[in-house]
Amino acid sequence: MFFLLKRSFRVKTEDLKVKHKKVISLFIREVDTGSCNACEIEVANLNNPYYDVERFGIKFVASPKHADVLLITGCVTRNMLIPMIKAYENAPAPKFVLTVGDCTAECPYFKDSYAVEGPVSKHLPVHVHVPGCPPEPAQVIEGLLKLSHFADKDL
Amino acid sequence: MYLEEEISETEIYGKVESIIKKGGYLLSIVCSDERALGEDFVIRYFFREEGIKVLKLCVGTKFPSITSLCPAAKNYEREIRDMFGLVPEGHPDSRSLMLYPENWDPSIHPLRKDYDGKKPEFKKYGIYRYKEVFGEGINKVLVGPIHAGIIEPGHFRFSLAGEAILQLEIRHFWKHRGVEKVCEGKNPEEALRIVSRISGDNAVNISLAYLNAVETLLGIKLSQRVSYLRCVLAELERIWNHVRDLGWLFMDIGFPLPAQHLFSIQEQLMRLNKVITGHRFMFDAFSIGGVNVKIEDEEKRLIDKMLTLVEKETKEVERFAIETPSVRDRFETTGRIFRKTAMELSLCGVCARASGLKRDTRVELPYLAYKDFDVNVPISEQGDVMARFMIRVEEIYQSVNLIRGFLENLPNDNAEKQNLLFPYSWSVGNAETPRGNAFFFVMLDEKGNIYRLKYTDPSFRNWPAIQYAVLGDIIADFPLVNKSMNLSYSGNDL
Repeated sequence: MFFLLKRSFRVKTEDLKVKHKKVISLFIREVDTGSCNACEIEVANLNNPYYDVERFGIKFVASPKHADVLLITGCVTRNMLIPMIKAYENAPAPKFVLTVGDCTAECPYFKDSYAVEGPVSKHLPVHVHVPGCPPEPAQVIEGLLKLSHFADKDL
Repeated sequence: MYLEEEISETEIYGKVESIIKKGGYLLSIVCSDERALGEDFVIRYFFREEGIKVLKLCVGTKFPSITSLCPAAKNYEREIRDMFGLVPEGHPDSRSLMLYPENWDPSIHPLRKDYDGKKPEFKKYGIYRYKEVFGEGINKVLVGPIHAGIIEPGHFRFSLAGEAILQLEIRHFWKHRGVEKVCEGKNPEEALRIVSRISGDNAVNISLAYLNAVETLLGIKLSQRVSYLRCVLAELERIWNHVRDLGWLFMDIGFPLPAQHLFSIQEQLMRLNKVITGHRFMFDAFSIGGVNVKIEDEEKRLIDKMLTLVEKETKEVERFAIETPSVRDRFETTGRIFRKTAMELSLCGVCARASGLKRDTRVELPYLAYKDFDVNVPISEQGDVMARFMIRVEEIYQSVNLIRGFLENLPNDNAEKQNLLFPYSWSVGNAETPRGNAFFFVMLDEKGNIYRLKYTDPSFRNWPAIQYAVLGDIIADFPLVNKSMNLSYSGNDL
């Protein structure tokens, strides 16, 4: 039983637009600041057998205190502003911010709302942004690899 | 259009009591600011009772709370106090709900029509008092808003006696984006784009509920073909949601093998979505009066192949769950919601059906192609995680059969376009999302733009139940109970 994975569907390293350098690994804490949960689902899909992001040395961790990268989704609601900043402050340096999804930058749907304080770049330094509503998992991996190049240079 | 019964503040208790005695339950409470239309604030109570029963109450600054009669009304009334500044008299909870006193001036009520759109200064205006539990040996565990896993934010406070959960208090609305206010003044087509981003994984079904309301108001008659195609997408969404939910249940009891297996089916289903609508979540697959989907012979073959696979693999997973003692040990008797609790909180969707309530919008208030097809509602009396697991499994089989039925009988017809507009009249729309009933109230102004839009997510109705489901369970079972209900944070927070 349970043998379903179709090899041909699997995202191959050589198909990605960004090259994987085997020098640095990233630990990620995901922070949702008001997305519609589609971005969360695509980020969670990175762990399924088709994307299997751990083969790049990328791992999701439970606390910002264990993280190198904050992966931020959503439009930064008023209520999530302080938790987001606290999470950033609690991550040990050097730390990097990756924003995923259109909501984190231009926020085409909710930017005029009374409850939204975005974009993320107004409050935190953003290193790499992955556009899309929501971006597909392969694009998120490319964003992460781009960030690893960036981190590699920085260290 | 629905019949409204106008009632006074003194009559409301009697009316609500008689509806509940007859087996009716609360669908939503909608407040709207109609002072510019020569009325006052209007509160409409929507009950399900052989169709929909609407009670209309005009109020000035306060209104009688019905929470003591109908506990399901609790959060709606808190919401009305935040958004409109009307005081529910006799309400047991005087705390704010969506607007946090930590950052929002409590004298500003954003859904009032005279709100000028200015945000108050970002500072502390007050504190939010959590419930206190005292006693020897009582431990507290505070979780969130940012908590482990790739998950949306919510704050959970457990009070434990040893390992058993004595009390759970949840604070939500961290993700409150003000969707209802954002939609105001937009035309229905623009609002549709926003509505499909209320809760991404239920985008199709939520949009259907919205379209149901708006198309009634605009007098648009759908062709049979469009209504069948819309139902195909709705059932495809139900399948991928349920497949994912089953996967997470295995993940949370430490069985990654069947979990990853189910996730790979989910991935294939999402890729199928992309083939037929161009988007993995089927965002923006609908327009007012239409559907943008490509289902020709080749796509039909692809869908059929996928359905065969889903059916076969779900059977395997079902057998695995039933035959593996360690799975049954974790699933059975965990997270029980009793029938009485489910009735009082007026639950919907999988949670209601697992607790013995036969509630399914597709049967109760049939819409689109569901009028022509029989939907069997699977029911269980157990109310535990296993019951919710088995109901999801049954619903996957059901959805597979429904999609096959829709595609075999796909009609080829065109409806002539009509466009009528009744300004300042309202309509409601209902649809069954994978999580339960989605409810929309829509009122358009004379230009045909949104005047007031209210959405009630199934998660908004079902979240309070989790506080009862976990009582007496150990804290390690909480993620399992949570996943078995799988409620949306963003749909709840709006």
